[in-house]
Amino acid sequence: MILPEIGEEGQQKLAKSKVLVIGAGGLGAAILPYLAAAGVGEIGIVDHDVIEISNLQRQVIYKTDAIGKSKAKEAKAMIAELNPLVKVKAISEKLSGRNAISLFEKYDSIVDATDNIAIKYLINDACFVTNKPMVYGSIFRFQGQVSVFNYQNGPTYRCLYPDENSNAINCEEAGVLGVSVGIIGMFQANEVLKMILGIGEVLSGKILVYNVLNNEQQKYDFEKSDIQTITREAFEEKYNKCEVEEVSFESVLNEMENDEVLFLDVRNTDESPKISLKNQIQIPLMHLESKLENLDKKQTIYIFCQSGIRSKIAFELLQKHRFKNIKSIAGGALAMKNILNKKNSHEFTNFYF
Amino acid sequence: MIEVKYFGAVAEKTKCEFEKLSFSEELSLQKLLQDLNKKYEFDALTFSVAVNQKIVSKTSDYTLQTSDIVALLPPFAGG
Repeated sequence: MILPEIGEEGQQKLAKSKVLVIGAGGLGAAILPYLAAAGVGEIGIVDHDVIEISNLQRQVIYKTDAIGKSKAKEAKAMIAELNPLVKVKAISEKLSGRNAISLFEKYDSIVDATDNIAIKYLINDACFVTNKPMVYGSIFRFQGQVSVFNYQNGPTYRCLYPDENSNAINCEEAGVLGVSVGIIGMFQANEVLKMILGIGEVLSGKILVYNVLNNEQQKYDFEKSDIQTITREAFEEKYNKCEVEEVSFESVLNEMENDEVLFLDVRNTDESPKISLKNQIQIPLMHLESKLENLDKKQTIYIFCQSGIRSKIAFELLQKHRFKNIKSIAGGALAMKNILNKKNSHEFTNFYF
Repeated sequence: MIEVKYFGAVAEKTKCEFEKLSFSEELSLQKLLQDLNKKYEFDALTFSVAVNQKIVSKTSDYTLQTSDIVALLPPFAGG
């Protein structure tokens, strides 16, 4: 606050800011205490891992007796001791396509402190969709990279690394000195604070590469690529496309007498072959959404149609309405009839001879 | 003479952080990358390429100039 670049006004900006830190590992352990001590108003911490003994050499906010405990919760407790004025949310969940966008919308900037390339692309894409800056940092042994992506419509992670099928290794696999991760985390915290305070030059459109062994650092410029964009629809398609679970009728034959399960025929009433199983109802697909109250969300439901296409649509519809135990029967009524015929003639044969 | 800098997993393959290369004929960036790939077998390694501190397309038909500095920058994943 004594710094003229910050002052009372800067402290107000910090108090009003909301930062989401994804990953409470080595990078997070450097970023979190500095953001908290600086007086950032709200901090969210996303990490679904628990503390392991091998983490302690670089994840310095955790104590030995916290081994086995949730990283997000322990980090929250650390911040509460350091600066009780900070509002902290510990989110002990894995970041996914399902929670990323709604989470990001609640914060001003997103810090990527993860150790996994696939998650970096997810963070990048969710930042793009929600229009938030992504403060990137990562390590390879004695080298680190820092950049701020998607800052005021600036270039993104995909503009720098368009090839998603990368196989870069993380700290547990590669080995790393605690201080290396700490230095890079500190660079990230610095970028976050600069953005909040509106001071200096944000590392947008530039990647900083730092080598802790020879203290050399380089900055490389990169440009925004217009093809590396993603819409909300494309995001859902990429990350949240539901996989229809299909089963063959043969594999559920022994469920035919089970009163706990339901066979749901989504064909129209005039379609044949007719199938009449013991626990079966018919709701044509076009009426399904309006008749959901007739179904039990917890019951095991096998959906079928004529050939197995409409039942997939019905599956997606039920999944959207949070039905848990649903499956689509491959091949539909045509395949079922075949199997039932075979089964009956087999039993018939047995009966007579 | 040009200088090529290697970072991260790429430097592990080349076993050096930089090297100076001389060439007599005209050399395009694409050809240089092909030659390096043949020499070091980068295989599935992903990296971006910078010329004189600026990331460029790996398929650009840029002709290398004396004293250019090329850098091979793979993504890092540790944290």
